[in-house]
Amino acid sequence: MARSITMQVARYRPDREAEPTMQSYDVPLRKDWAILDGLNHIKDELDGTLSYRWSCRMGICGSCGMTVNGEPKLTCATFLTDYAPGPVRVEPLRNFPVVRDLVVDIGDFMAKLSVVQPWIIRKDEETPDGEYLQTPAELEDYKQFSMCINCMLCYSACPIYGLNEHFLGPAAIALAQRYNLDSRDQGSADRMDALSASTGVWDCTYVGECSTACPKNVDPAGAIQRYKLTAATETLKSFLMPRGGR
Amino acid sequence: MTENIERHRYDVVVIGAGGAGLRAAIEARLAGKRTAIISKSLFGKAHTVMAEGGAAAAMGNVNPNDNWMVHFRDTMRGGKFLNNYRMAELHAKEAPDRIWELETYGALFDRTKDGKISQRNFGGHEYPRLAHVGDRTGLELIRTLQQKIVSLQQEDRAESGSYEARLRVFAECTITELLVDGGKIAGAFGYHRESGKLVLFETPAVILATGGVGKSYKVTSNSWEYTGDGHALALRAGASLINMEFLQFHPTGMVWPPSVRGILVTESVRGDGGVLKNTEGKRFMFDYVPDVFRTQYAETEDEADRWYTDPDNNKRPPELLPRDEVARAINAEVKAGRGTESGGVFLDIASRRPAEFILKRLPSMYHQFKELADVDITTQPMEIGPTCHYVMGGVEVDADSAATTRVSGLFAAGEVSGGMHGSNRLGGNSLSDLLVFGKRAGEYAAGYVDGLGASRPKVSKANVDAAAETVLGPLERTGGENPYELWHELQTVMQDLVGIIRRKHELEESLKRLADLRERIANVGATGGRLYNPGWHLALDLRNMLIVSECTARAALQREESRGGHTREDFPAMNPTWRKINLVCALEGDDVKLAAQPVPSMPPRLLALFDRSEMAKYLTVEELAELDSVVAGNNVVAERAVN
Repeated sequence: MARSITMQVARYRPDREAEPTMQSYDVPLRKDWAILDGLNHIKDELDGTLSYRWSCRMGICGSCGMTVNGEPKLTCATFLTDYAPGPVRVEPLRNFPVVRDLVVDIGDFMAKLSVVQPWIIRKDEETPDGEYLQTPAELEDYKQFSMCINCMLCYSACPIYGLNEHFLGPAAIALAQRYNLDSRDQGSADRMDALSASTGVWDCTYVGECSTACPKNVDPAGAIQRYKLTAATETLKSFLMPRGGR
Repeated sequence: MTENIERHRYDVVVIGAGGAGLRAAIEARLAGKRTAIISKSLFGKAHTVMAEGGAAAAMGNVNPNDNWMVHFRDTMRGGKFLNNYRMAELHAKEAPDRIWELETYGALFDRTKDGKISQRNFGGHEYPRLAHVGDRTGLELIRTLQQKIVSLQQEDRAESGSYEARLRVFAECTITELLVDGGKIAGAFGYHRESGKLVLFETPAVILATGGVGKSYKVTSNSWEYTGDGHALALRAGASLINMEFLQFHPTGMVWPPSVRGILVTESVRGDGGVLKNTEGKRFMFDYVPDVFRTQYAETEDEADRWYTDPDNNKRPPELLPRDEVARAINAEVKAGRGTESGGVFLDIASRRPAEFILKRLPSMYHQFKELADVDITTQPMEIGPTCHYVMGGVEVDADSAATTRVSGLFAAGEVSGGMHGSNRLGGNSLSDLLVFGKRAGEYAAGYVDGLGASRPKVSKANVDAAAETVLGPLERTGGENPYELWHELQTVMQDLVGIIRRKHELEESLKRLADLRERIANVGATGGRLYNPGWHLALDLRNMLIVSECTARAALQREESRGGHTREDFPAMNPTWRKINLVCALEGDDVKLAAQPVPSMPPRLLALFDRSEMAKYLTVEELAELDSVVAGNNVVAERAVN
């Protein structure tokens, strides 16, 4: 195995430069080094001005998403050796504005969170004495959609979001389904307008790139497809029962 | 100062957006206060996401014998009776309500067959007590609190037209100084990490919820945010820190490969049946049960193994001793030459539980080892060793209100506060701690602001100018020291000289080296401008890490005994006289000064929860005599009442 690998890293300071440039760094090629270890090596040893986000190193905080050789990846869980002999190209996540170097602005997603009302909505006023009961089987129904770490890889992979920033997007819709399918929740009707709007599930053409990119197997594409069926049924109901369907 | 500084006005400013900060902010907002949340990282990425095992709360869902008194006892034992008893009491009493409340916000928990929140076993807890979801409980907790905040913002929008009318998150923003006016909080000063622009918050109340200090160590489970910011801010504002000598080295961090060294391996592995073995294949923890715990832990492998299915009639396996005991045991095995090449021992669940069980109970661990180390934990043992994980010491606060004792309007909750965990924290007590005291801090901060009325402390221009000058210093310095080099040197000093086993001459040496580093850090430089510049950010974090490290080293040198997260090779035993003493750090000028202060003594109603024979292991002869006279007095009173 070669002893080093070239990392081509996107550098960009929007306040000073018209467009991004690629800068090459040689870093040690070690079996156990993730892309993130390579970036940390660059920052600590070669160029302390390189900017990127990271935190936990264990694939749970969802901070270190970047585009690696054209694909959205968590850089703490993507190994340099998989790209040997290199070079390996590291760019910011696509479909988001770049703040500097590999750091992107994800404010749009944070704003979309409130649209899908990701909390338990109850129609009855009384709160339980202690906890709501929920069987393990009821939990299994939505658990998968709760695994999201907000890493934004699915938005970066989604061609629809790339064309239309108003599209609610994979993670937000999966989050809505996480609550719709939760036996404790009674708010699916409240979420329906946002999910069935023109920027909701119907924008999705089921490319499925989101589920491919997801590092936690949340399967947002599956969540979207499942909701399309729900929405279609509800729409049909509202034709048949215009006053009582919802 | 020529720069136009961005200004905001709030009733309450919460520094830190982990579990404690978010819970505090929710409470302050529910009390009607305009509240700002300052987050060093992105919103929702705080260190709390990394908590795996669960939140300890005596709900009694799995074993009905559990209640707050048992939880209180376990917490005090775990902390070797150095805990602030009142904090431990409030924590044990209120944790169940905080968990149930979180559940009604929407948090997902693993369930018992009858639909209740399931609870798992953990080190030092007598009964299954940790509410959890798989091994990603911290992520669920943060997500739930984050989404609760979004829901409150939506309510505010319905009422006022603006999402941010009463609750606003300032993400990627770092506070560098608290501004004080005559002993009262007046504001907080800092910078936006993205733009590098300076920002001033005028506020009469600040809640510190900044977490810990682990980045001063080379091997740590902590992420980059953990540079002791809140500890240092409190000190510079005039507040005090207690118990800074007590650091928790979590017994099971990954040791291989080197790039992931220090990353946590959850204690749930042991709670679910995993055992520790040395390179000779021996299950060694049976050799390390200290006398104070002798009656509570199994003496044979058979009994330990029976406990998993019949806990009422068997004693616990010694792998589930409190963390300080297990970390020291691993350290001793490695030192005795029975460790692996990388300096670890083996944690084996593969030979003890079926693969399906492991995959279901510990999915994140399975993926972590598969992806990061190419180890399949369903067929192979894990290689683990101690990693710097948690600081028990922190800002000295009043137990009920979470208010600091020396600066009005300054509150602290979660890891940054001190006292709750004594000399050693039990696993699972952190997530419940930050919910219980986060809520209290928010509630009492709101009350404090109400009490001030219209007369709020004022921010002085001179203080703002000085704070701005400090922040911009590294950028303006030419030929300054490289922040990365200084940081690595600081980590080396702390890891090698103020680590898990401490010695007098090494601690003295550490103080000399820290003094050198202090001068060099004053001359730190950063190139590359203000826009999202990590070198500059680190340059500013360094002074916090330095001052907090100095507190730890000084207190460690002074405390001549071994207790919990403080082990002195030259004073290997617990000393009852030291149990009565908290070491308090405060600044005099720029210098850290230490003072000894009595630990608040437990009132008889709480002392009565323990056997005299157990207390005899911890108390001095005089304390025991006093205890006996109190008990005798109570008996007399009781007899009179009967007669």
